[in-house]
Amino acid sequence: MNSTSASNKILEISNLDLVFNSHVYKEKSLRQSFVDQFKNPLGLLQRNTNSLHVLKGVSLSLNQGDRLGVLGCNGSGKTTLCRVISGMLGPTKGQVKLDGHCRAIFNTAIGILPQLTGRENAQLLSVLMFPELEKKEREELVEEAIEFSELGDFIDTPFVHYSKGMQSRLSLSIISARVSDLLILDEVFDGADMFFREKITKRILDLIEKSGATILVSHNLDQIRLACNKVLVLADGRKWFLGDIEEGIKLYSSLG
Amino acid sequence: MHSIEIKHTTRQIIALTKSNMMSRYRKTIAGFLWVVLNPIIMYAVQSFVFRKLLKIEVPNYSLFLLCGLLPWIFITMTMDMVTPILDLSSDLLKSFKMNPVVLVLSQILDNFFNFLFAFFIVLIPTWIIMGGEWKGVFFLPLILFSLVVTTAAVCWLLATLQVFYKDVKFVVSFLLSILFFLTPIFYPVDYVPENYRFLVSLNPIYALIEPFRFSIYDFNLSLLLKGLAKSYFVMITTTIISYFYWRKKKNEFYLSL
Repeated sequence: MNSTSASNKILEISNLDLVFNSHVYKEKSLRQSFVDQFKNPLGLLQRNTNSLHVLKGVSLSLNQGDRLGVLGCNGSGKTTLCRVISGMLGPTKGQVKLDGHCRAIFNTAIGILPQLTGRENAQLLSVLMFPELEKKEREELVEEAIEFSELGDFIDTPFVHYSKGMQSRLSLSIISARVSDLLILDEVFDGADMFFREKITKRILDLIEKSGATILVSHNLDQIRLACNKVLVLADGRKWFLGDIEEGIKLYSSLG
Repeated sequence: MHSIEIKHTTRQIIALTKSNMMSRYRKTIAGFLWVVLNPIIMYAVQSFVFRKLLKIEVPNYSLFLLCGLLPWIFITMTMDMVTPILDLSSDLLKSFKMNPVVLVLSQILDNFFNFLFAFFIVLIPTWIIMGGEWKGVFFLPLILFSLVVTTAAVCWLLATLQVFYKDVKFVVSFLLSILFFLTPIFYPVDYVPENYRFLVSLNPIYALIEPFRFSIYDFNLSLLLKGLAKSYFVMITTTIISYFYWRKKKNEFYLSL
C-alpha cells in the first residue's frame, strides 16, 4: 500500500500548541470548589498558572494519498492531536487547515439507545455519522453494513443484549462503510473477534485506500506497516519524527 | 455554523428525537398514552388536593391550574432528564465527532412534542369548555417559542456543568422540588404577601409560565405583553450565558467526559 503521495494538500497543521488547565484533570465536587474559593477568595481573580502542555509546536501536512501512522507512548498526545484535527478540540496556538471533510473514529463499540434493536441503532448511527447522506443512500449503506456484519437474526433483537464483540461488529461495519477526504482511525482494529477481524481489516484497508488521506493511530506495528506510507512519532506532545515507516518504528521502539 | 452544518445537525436531531420516542415507550403497556396520563394524573390529584382539601378559591380553577402545571411539568421533566445526558453519553461523544447539542436538543424536542400533545388534548378542550378568550391564542406561538428556547438554554448550561461537577443533577432535583412550592403554579400570585412578591418576580421559571395565564386563563393584553417581554429577557440572558460558558469550557469538556 506504500504508494507515493500526490500533491493535493488535504491537511496542514502549523505550530500547534494545546494547553489545558491542570485542574481539569482533578475530580472536583461542587463542595470542593466552594471550599477552595472560601480558602482563597482571590483565586477567582487570579490566573491559573498550573497548566498541562499536551501538544507542543506540532507541524505537519498531509496530501492526497498520504496514510500517516501515528506512534507514541501512552499520554504522548496521539488521540489529542486527532481530536484537534477533527475539530473536537480547539488549539491554544497554531493553525489547522483542512481542505475537505474529516471523519474521525475513536471507539468501535458504539450503541446509542440500547433498548432499540441492532438494526435501529445502525440506522441511527448512520444518520449521526453520515448526516450528509440522503435517505435512500443511507438505507442502502445500512443494509450493506448489516449484511457485512453477519449478525443474522440478532440484528432485530435489542442492542442491550449484544456482547461487546457483536457491538463492535455492527459499529465497525457502519463506520467502515463510507470513504472520506480525511479519515482518522484511532485504535479501530481492536474489539472484534478473531474470525471477524480478518474480514474487517480487509474492509478498513480498502476504506483507507479509497479515502483522500488517512491518519491511523495504533500500537500494532504490523498494522502500521500494512496500512501506512509514512509515520509520525510523538513523544511528550512533540513531533519526534516524521517520515519513513521503518525508521519511525525503530525510533519508537527505542523510546521505551 | 454554516447552513450545511445546520442542515446536518437538524437531520441528526430529528433522527435522534424519533429514536428517543420509540425507545422511551417500548415494552410499556400504555405506550404513548403515558404522555397524557402523566399530566392528567398530576392535574387530577393536585386539583383535588388544592381545591377540595385546601379550599383554594380561584374561579375556573381547572384552567388556572393547567395553564401553570403543563409548562411546569415540561420544564422540570426536561431539566431532570437533560442535566445528566452529556455525562451519561460520554462514550458516544468521545467515539466520533458529533455536536453534543444534538443529544440535548433531541431530548428537549421529544419532551416538547409530549408537552404539545398534552397541551392540545387536555388544556385546549378545557379552555373551550370554560369559554376562554380567543384573542390570547394568537400569542401562543411566541409564548411557546420562549418556553422551549429558554428551557433549551438552561438545560444546555446544566448538562455542561454536570460534566464538570457531578453534584449538579442532585442540586437541580432539590431546587426544583423547592421551587414547586415557591412558584405560583397551584395558587395565584396574589396569595403571596406583597413584601415577598419580589421573590416571585425573580423566579425565571415563573417568567415563562406567567404568559400562559395571561393568554389562556385571564386574557389581559398589557399584562401579557409585559410578561412576554420578561420571558424574552430571560430567554436572551440564559442563551448568552449558556453560549459563552460552552465556548469557554469546550476543550475542557471533552477532557472531563
